[in-house]
Amino acid sequence: MQVTIPDNVKELIAKRGLKESDVLDVVNTAAQTNHYLKKGTDGLAKKVIGDLTVYALCDLSGQGTAVVKSAYAHKMKLGKIVNVMGESEWKSVDKGHAIATGHVEIEYMTVKRNGPALVCPACNEAWVEEYLATKTLAAAEGLFEAKRA
Amino acid sequence: MSDIIGHTNSLCPKCLKTVPATKVAEDDKVYLLKECPEHGTEKVLIWRGVADYEDMKRYAAVQSKPLRLAVKEDNNCPQICGLCPDHVQHTCLVVMEITNGCNLKCPVCFASANERYKFSPSIEIIKGMYQTMLDYVNHPICVQISGGEPTIRDDLPEIVRMGKAMGIDHIEVNTNGIRFAEDIEFLQTIKEAGVDSLYFSFDGLHGDIYKQTCGRDILAQKLKCIENCEKVGMGVTLVCVVSPNINLDRVGEVINFAKSKVPTIKGVHFQPISYFGRFPISPKDEDRVTIPDLLKAIEEQTNGELMVDSFIPTSCSNIHCDAKSMSVVMEDGSLFPLTSRALGPPKETNAIATKTRTEISDLWRFIEDSLKVEDEGEEVNEWGSFVDRAKTNYLTVSTMAFQDAWTSETERFRNCCIHTVTPDGKLIPFCLFNINSQEGKTLYRHEMWSKYSEK
Repeated sequence: MQVTIPDNVKELIAKRGLKESDVLDVVNTAAQTNHYLKKGTDGLAKKVIGDLTVYALCDLSGQGTAVVKSAYAHKMKLGKIVNVMGESEWKSVDKGHAIATGHVEIEYMTVKRNGPALVCPACNEAWVEEYLATKTLAAAEGLFEAKRA
Repeated sequence: MSDIIGHTNSLCPKCLKTVPATKVAEDDKVYLLKECPEHGTEKVLIWRGVADYEDMKRYAAVQSKPLRLAVKEDNNCPQICGLCPDHVQHTCLVVMEITNGCNLKCPVCFASANERYKFSPSIEIIKGMYQTMLDYVNHPICVQISGGEPTIRDDLPEIVRMGKAMGIDHIEVNTNGIRFAEDIEFLQTIKEAGVDSLYFSFDGLHGDIYKQTCGRDILAQKLKCIENCEKVGMGVTLVCVVSPNINLDRVGEVINFAKSKVPTIKGVHFQPISYFGRFPISPKDEDRVTIPDLLKAIEEQTNGELMVDSFIPTSCSNIHCDAKSMSVVMEDGSLFPLTSRALGPPKETNAIATKTRTEISDLWRFIEDSLKVEDEGEEVNEWGSFVDRAKTNYLTVSTMAFQDAWTSETERFRNCCIHTVTPDGKLIPFCLFNINSQEGKTLYRHEMWSKYSEK
């Protein structure tokens, strides 16, 4: 798999405090294990690296290539699935499971709250979407860290 | 059985000369043992709980030098201060006194208000003190206008406007609230002039407490001041002097009261009584409230809603000077602490001073707008609700143990980030500025203010 990160995405990755090497690691690991989600020509992969869960959203329309469209991360830990709301357009590539929308327990610094996520009830696994990670979760993480410092 | 756990320098409470001191652990307490060649030995309680005292050391931060120094001479801390090359922390909060007059005559007063001379600097001198801040302190610059009682000056709005126009970022007014209780228009005027918050002395919810701390029952005026702040949208930090002989057993009800007045009340700051300025007794160990004593009292009196574990040092001043907790006030009125010792110290301990200044100027404002969560429609998002609630419904509970001549330690002076500005262009750690001997001699306060006073 040939992985490309366009310049504008490189800027976004830097702005979000992520490392390009971590994003490449996420995509390469997904390519090796086939453990990622697919919707049309988009692929969404995640990997826990250190205390971060890093996500990469890629365009997989090219043969043997992945072009990174976006990357984001959260420090919060995802827990059990709280509920399943409805269908989503995403499917898991390795097992072919339909991915639903729902809610998952999200924990940060001993505080647990529920939040929306893409969920696979069969595997008890969840994916946080970009809007939640970069807005709400980032704000909450910032709140905790500001108070602690 | 006693163990030596450290060495420092201190002051003789009789002559204020610098004397060597030893920190001694004994009966699970930490004492300062010092000897003045002229006035003999002193043994002073500074902390209850030896393991706790030692544990604070993990919160020590990477410190930063002041932006500029007004004094070149070193190795003479704390006798020559201004700051000097031995100082190891930025200025986070500048205290600027604009009068030594007051509309009360409290038996307990760090500023010894209404005594000796009349200090009421001109607008030109005040302008000079603002300029000192701009020259010597990094932005955001936070100033506390203090006294005496600053609201006795009718030109307070002009003083505030001038500061903001010159580039001061955050201005709070340290007040007893009497004038604001009686004159809501004056409160509105100083808000419009640019005051960001009040640092409001509030020693409890019983009239008898004020009879002891302020000389008369002024609870009704205190409550009226808060009511007026609510009306004009002025954020308030309650400042509660805590004495074991007066109100240590009533600190929990101050926190409960504060919760009920969020978001007008942004925080409660407890100040264990320090024996400088005007105080009615010569202190013994039983007259002291150490930080652990206060935190235990808070834990007991809030039924564990806030625990000792909820308080961490700010790591900005010396680790044995302060502790703070921050909590979200939940829908049911309970406190949800965001701070916990179990989580360990902050990972980033450099640039703590910058963070502290930002916190003072940003988080303590009446309307919190530094955190933004965009509307997510109908989605159930408890984290979003939590953050939204935290933006306005939070309460800080903090404490700072000011040093007096008995408890003084030079490394705590050197670590200090709260500095009094003087008309001759100096910044002096707040405690050091105010310290006086048993006989009333000071190293800085009276010497400095009398020089700039009306004779």
